[in-house]
Amino acid sequence: MADVVFLALSGLIIASAILALEARELIYGAIWLAISLMGVAGVFILLGAEYVAMFQVAVYVGAVVVLIMFTIMLVHRESGRIVDEEGPGRLGRAGAFVAGLVALTVAVATILLTPVSPAAPEFYRVALPELGRLLASSYSIALVILGLLIGATVIGALTLAKVEREGEPDGTVE
Amino acid sequence: MVNELQPLPTVQEIVTLALSIITSRTFLEIIVFPGFLNVMLGAAFLTWLERKVIARVQLRIGPLYAGMWGILQPIADGVKLMFKEMIFPERADAKLLMLCALGLMLLAAAPVVPIPFGDGLVIADMDVGLIYVFAVISLFPTVILLIGWGSNSKYSFLGALRSLFQQVAYEIPMWLSVLGIIMLTGTLNLAKIVEAQQKVWFVVPQILGFVVFFTAVLAELERTPFDLPEAEPELVMGWMTELTGVAFMVGFLAMYTKLYLMSALITALFLGGWSGPAILPQPVWFLLKTFLVASSVVIIRGSFPRVRVDILLRSAWTRLLLVAFANIFVTVGVIWLGLGGIWRI
Repeated sequence: MADVVFLALSGLIIASAILALEARELIYGAIWLAISLMGVAGVFILLGAEYVAMFQVAVYVGAVVVLIMFTIMLVHRESGRIVDEEGPGRLGRAGAFVAGLVALTVAVATILLTPVSPAAPEFYRVALPELGRLLASSYSIALVILGLLIGATVIGALTLAKVEREGEPDGTVE
Repeated sequence: MVNELQPLPTVQEIVTLALSIITSRTFLEIIVFPGFLNVMLGAAFLTWLERKVIARVQLRIGPLYAGMWGILQPIADGVKLMFKEMIFPERADAKLLMLCALGLMLLAAAPVVPIPFGDGLVIADMDVGLIYVFAVISLFPTVILLIGWGSNSKYSFLGALRSLFQQVAYEIPMWLSVLGIIMLTGTLNLAKIVEAQQKVWFVVPQILGFVVFFTAVLAELERTPFDLPEAEPELVMGWMTELTGVAFMVGFLAMYTKLYLMSALITALFLGGWSGPAILPQPVWFLLKTFLVASSVVIIRGSFPRVRVDILLRSAWTRLLLVAFANIFVTVGVIWLGLGGIWRI
């Protein structure tokens, strides 16, 4: 049963992630991104980490996706899409290729190095008060750094808005 | 090799199986109470209650002819809206609008899952119940923004933007105002939070938190004095302007469902939930308190003018946030002095 749910969720996550990248209208891309992130929350629930799942929904869908949609709407009110006719330049393509390669390597290495376990072992299921204590003591620095996530999102959204507004004279994304 | 055919299940067996599913506790909890039927009927009842109460505030009578005291008015309204033609503006995204109206209903009804309507009368008794409710609430701006954008109408888009600012701003004091309760009880489970209030309701020690939470809920619900997203003289109906027929009905009912379940949340967090003298059963106490909270929201609508948008945002970011923090520090002091023992679970 858990396997079937996991496979369905993985299919949903991957498919909606691809659709998010391939969507013609940027706003539909944002919707697919939200669905993909909800799928990740589902995987967290499957692993018995409900607390993480709730924050995945609240922070990523409730804050990050809203910010992205807001920026898209403010910048592209007329047509609702970025049509970047020329596509990314040579440097952009090379950068994307390298970043993709690094991400793929890390993902494959993580999969190969992690011992296979059929279900989440019991010791992963930390009780909530204990989790809170750990987050506030041993992992407090990691928690503070995670708080920068929204800051990073705001910077990204501002960049998206700025690039489009200054667009015409000095060549957009490059 | 002998092939033994399985005997087909007889009609009687199927009927008994279906009956055992229908009468099982889980099924009844999901479909009847406190699940689907309760939420739908509660929201429909609230539309009637709002019209009656607001009519009394304005010295009118309100709905009168449909049934006794006009109690069947919600059904008449629903039938009327169902048979209305659906009109979408040119270049509006009709599919997106329909999908978002349905999504809004889903989101509005979702908080019912961890709310205890009685001792053990809860669909899913989850340990992260309170965070689950807040996670669902934080999804509303997404859907409302999509409705406003997909309508391809200036009124809808301006309404959706106002709604976004307001909901995002008021979410923060809302989260902070319940921290006092979480610190006193040491749990996020709503059923346990209700159990902790058997001696003294949290509205007494957490009065600051209650005021902040109630105000933030008014803003989240887009209720007067914070109903800028649908300010009628300026924006027609806000982000709901271009919803027609069934889509409007679903969106409208979603907002009343949200009102119902937010009132239920206030009841569970601050007003002792289902606790009360044993002359009435627990769910009755819970519903009484919930409709009392909803009525006070309606009476506030009848009594106060709409605030300006700058006052709205400034009061959220400066005043409410300060009061919420003051509440947290006071609660920390109370716990430090060792006075919080009776609420500890």
